[in-house]
Amino acid sequence: MEKVCVLGAGSTKYGKLEDSITDITIQASVGAIESAGIDPKEIQAGYISNVFGVADKQVHLGPVIMSNLGIPEKPSLSIESACGSGSVSFREAFANVAAGFYDAVLVAGTEKVTHTGTEWTTTYFSYCSDFFYEGGAGASFPGLFASMARAYLTEFKATEEDLAAVAVKNHENGLLNPKAHLRKKITIDDVMNSAVVASPLKLYDCCPFSDGASAVILCSEKFAKAHSKNYVNVIGSGRGGSPATLQGRDHMTTIPSTKLAAQAAYKMAGITAKDIDFAEVHDCFTIAEVVDTEDLGFFEKGTGVQAVREGRTARNGDIPVNPSGGLKAKGHPIGATGVGQVVEVFEQLTGKAGERTVKDAKIGLTHNFGATGASCAVHIFQSV
Amino acid sequence: MKQEFIDAVKAGNVLTKKCTKCGHLHLATVYFCQNCGAKGFENQILKGTGTVATYTIITVPPAGFEKYTPYAWVVMKIDGYELRVSGFLGGIGSPAQLPVGAKIKIIGYDDRGILLEKQ
Repeated sequence: MEKVCVLGAGSTKYGKLEDSITDITIQASVGAIESAGIDPKEIQAGYISNVFGVADKQVHLGPVIMSNLGIPEKPSLSIESACGSGSVSFREAFANVAAGFYDAVLVAGTEKVTHTGTEWTTTYFSYCSDFFYEGGAGASFPGLFASMARAYLTEFKATEEDLAAVAVKNHENGLLNPKAHLRKKITIDDVMNSAVVASPLKLYDCCPFSDGASAVILCSEKFAKAHSKNYVNVIGSGRGGSPATLQGRDHMTTIPSTKLAAQAAYKMAGITAKDIDFAEVHDCFTIAEVVDTEDLGFFEKGTGVQAVREGRTARNGDIPVNPSGGLKAKGHPIGATGVGQVVEVFEQLTGKAGERTVKDAKIGLTHNFGATGASCAVHIFQSV
Repeated sequence: MKQEFIDAVKAGNVLTKKCTKCGHLHLATVYFCQNCGAKGFENQILKGTGTVATYTIITVPPAGFEKYTPYAWVVMKIDGYELRVSGFLGGIGSPAQLPVGAKIKIIGYDDRGILLEKQ
């Protein structure tokens, strides 16, 4: 297996964007190409992740993006795996470079939905669930995670204020990220007093609907060494699945696919959770970050809230989580999110994260899933 | 296969598929045994009564549910089995009305999916 590296990364701002889905994807891709310092013709394939291109009248994005980059003859794959599309796509790119099929590929994720309004997005996002049992019976995505939150609050010593603390922390990090969607300091009271969306989750427990695109150049170690000293090694890659429905799970306070993906990634990297210096995890809702940090092995089950209360996951804590602001504050353009996490890790490990730099970080982890964790990918990165 | 399941729900029941090889029970919509991989099943009808395993009360609904809001979406543990089924439970405005563990039952099926009610 070839060693695989991230050579460059680019991203648009996340938020409400005016440009088309094609334009923002190209902007992020050009950013990644320039960051890598390569000629676009050196790219041998494209992996383009997106969920609701239909909302901006463009699906089958792969060839459109490759054509706009002046490489229409290069093959591409357009990938959808709900909110996990970006990391699932990254994994396929990783596997193909590791297998030696390609020396250098573009991985771009993108989403453009905010112009459709809250009802459209709430409704269409619910199609990412097993619709017969969940979306079709009135379960929105906030509702599904609220059901996990209710189970967690019932089973463990945790309060709604504990969940709110996750939002407060991630907003603090987002303040330092110039590309974040929500750059606003909030308090526990702000979260507790915000409108209920699906009890026990309130508006500030939820990530925003965002537009945005992120891209990276993934390549073999040989290719990386020939082009730059400023690259990052991908040392672990893992995937896992969970029952598509919550009713199909014996426990609703854990996401099985996270555990499976993390175990596989740790095994490939030859490390354990204790070796991770910081992580970008899938905090679509505050409860998700708590569950993620337990399933990834950072904390014992039921103690994730205590870790947040003690500041252990803050940017200056012993295991900083979501220094970018996470989905919660940086934003969640669903097809882009998994790639955006890699952009953050690349910037952190190559000295480009500015004010939000995690001190002395050498090993970073990304964790991204689709729906309530039905599909999941975990990747581990190490600085050179 | 879904229609058979829906017909059972309309009668207040849950249609499950029991693996003829290992006995593992599944909700109707499965084609290979999750436990042993075998393909042979026999129908087993369970009474649609149970308890709230977890739930949420939705106040920002997806399209089509506006006129029912607020309502609860509930995961119900089926009495006597380690099996759960989820559905719509109307007329619920506050968490105090629907604690985890409360007794509920299936009462039918319509455009809101599987309909549940407090016992």
